[in-house]
Amino acid sequence: MRQPPVNMIARDAIKAWKITAAIYVAVLWLATLAIAIISYHYTLSYWFVSIAILISGLSTYLAVFLFPEIRWRRWRYEVFDQEIYIQHGILIVSRTLVPMIRVQHVDTKQGPILRNFRLASVTISTAATTHEIPALLEEDASELRDRISALARVDEDDV
Amino acid sequence: MSEPRRLHPAAIIFNFIKGIREFLFVLIFGFITFRDESLIYFILILFALVLLLVTYSIITWYRFTYRVEDNELRIEYGIFVRKKRYISKNRIQSIDLTSGVIHRIFKLAKVQIETASGGDGAEASLKAVKLTEAEKLRDELKNENTPLKGELEEEETTNPFYKISFQRLFIAGSTSGSLGVIFVLAIGATEFERFIPDQFFDNAMSWVIGLGIALIVGFVFVVLLLLWLLGIAGTIIKYGNFTITKSTDELFITRGLLEKKQITIPLSRIQAIGIQESIIRQPLGFVTVFAEVAGGSLDQGQDFSTVLFPIMRRDEVEEFLQEILPEYAEHPKEFNPLPKRALPFYLFRTMVPVILLGVVVMFLLPQFSWLVILLLIAAFGLGFLRYRASGYDVKGNRLMVRYRTFSKMTMLMYHKRIQAFEKKQHKIQKSQSLATLKLSIIGKLGVGKHYSLKELNADDLDLLSDWYSYRE
Repeated sequence: MRQPPVNMIARDAIKAWKITAAIYVAVLWLATLAIAIISYHYTLSYWFVSIAILISGLSTYLAVFLFPEIRWRRWRYEVFDQEIYIQHGILIVSRTLVPMIRVQHVDTKQGPILRNFRLASVTISTAATTHEIPALLEEDASELRDRISALARVDEDDV
Repeated sequence: MSEPRRLHPAAIIFNFIKGIREFLFVLIFGFITFRDESLIYFILILFALVLLLVTYSIITWYRFTYRVEDNELRIEYGIFVRKKRYISKNRIQSIDLTSGVIHRIFKLAKVQIETASGGDGAEASLKAVKLTEAEKLRDELKNENTPLKGELEEEETTNPFYKISFQRLFIAGSTSGSLGVIFVLAIGATEFERFIPDQFFDNAMSWVIGLGIALIVGFVFVVLLLLWLLGIAGTIIKYGNFTITKSTDELFITRGLLEKKQITIPLSRIQAIGIQESIIRQPLGFVTVFAEVAGGSLDQGQDFSTVLFPIMRRDEVEEFLQEILPEYAEHPKEFNPLPKRALPFYLFRTMVPVILLGVVVMFLLPQFSWLVILLLIAAFGLGFLRYRASGYDVKGNRLMVRYRTFSKMTMLMYHKRIQAFEKKQHKIQKSQSLATLKLSIIGKLGVGKHYSLKELNADDLDLLSDWYSYRE
């Protein structure tokens, strides 16, 4: 676990995350707008609006511009014959080991945003946890899914 | 054993009670709306409803049959839609017998059969079966290849067997969480006065002062004593007659004074063994031994983990585990503690909430500042205790992690039971070369249970990850 995993996820993940974040942030800005209109209408203190703008602005900067880049750089994975090794996290860096014989099932998933970039995410479930590799090229994702599921098909010992 | 059997007729009563419970809300609602003008109609409807419910209960009972055939438990039920449920013997994880108060009058038991699929109900539940028959059914459904009856009884006598003594039970009760409840209540009571209208408060106050302080103190004391006694009674009712027996591949637990519960735990389902030393019991040297068991369902009781023994002396644990679960015995005398530089993290973590609270209190209620200082000292102490308690130990394939929230927990688990291993590290930890360990195992209901050990030496954690890794 001393060396980080070698494989990186798809570069387009950044764009997909930015879009997702932008949608969430848009909701914040709408709320800000609503606050602005209400304060103007009832001549409330400007404090509310300024705080709302500050929060929305900061969230926009962090979620849309800063975090996707860092998160992409941090995200790494490596699949060995015996285990899966994942690293992720922005402030807290997590490195996870999932033994192959503990894997219950693997899924690939694709929402509208990921599909737009021809990406898919891979979800690995054990009896106690789930782990997601968030954005891989479609063909890589299905290849990885098949590979893990083949490797995980070891004789199951009692659980 | 292949002819279909019915439940004991008392099941009709249980069906009826269940029906009433489901309709209770409607009944109360109906009573309130029809109370004045058309009470007669309401009573008529009620009468019809009860009649309907009684017939329903009887038919439900009549239609419900069970039998053991071809190594399967076969249940057929349903009034309009006939349903059949076949549960294969080797899918059965545990068979629990429970006897409530009504059950015990008729010498009956409720049989609950669990399979691996979680879910919040038993896979099959036979509401009322004659106790002797229930025990026979249980023996029949056990996964063993039907051992000869004589053999089984012979084994019974030599099996390790532990029983709780009344004295122990009493200690368990008197040191149970009810003391904590009392503490919270005592604090709550001082806050309570703020919600009482002023005038009432003044009147009551002058009356109370008339009674004299001594009387109030006496009153409070009596209430606390009562709560404490209730706690003892609760524990005695819950864990009275606690016995644990080991057979070849399962543990068998009986407990409860009013509601008698019999639980079987297959040894292969045990994921981890825990030893809990609560903050009250620790100085007295008493611990609770429990097990994390995979599968099972919610109605096995409110305690999330299965208690293997409610209370025993710390130095008896070794022998107990040696007898019951030898692979979890032989505890290390010493374990790898945390490095010194982890201490500030622990102090910081416990004290920050108190400091934040303290700032608010000093701002709003400066007269309570002394309380904040007291809490701060307590938090400091707790942080230090948490730091001291934390650590791990590896012995072959077995990992021990020890940590404390309030109670000191020692968890023992095997390499093959750990589902995932995680190392977490944030910037500040990294600069101190510390890291957090997170282990996941399967808990009840097939939901993951996670154990964290914070601020380990990062190098130690890397060694641990090598221990865990399957890579060659």
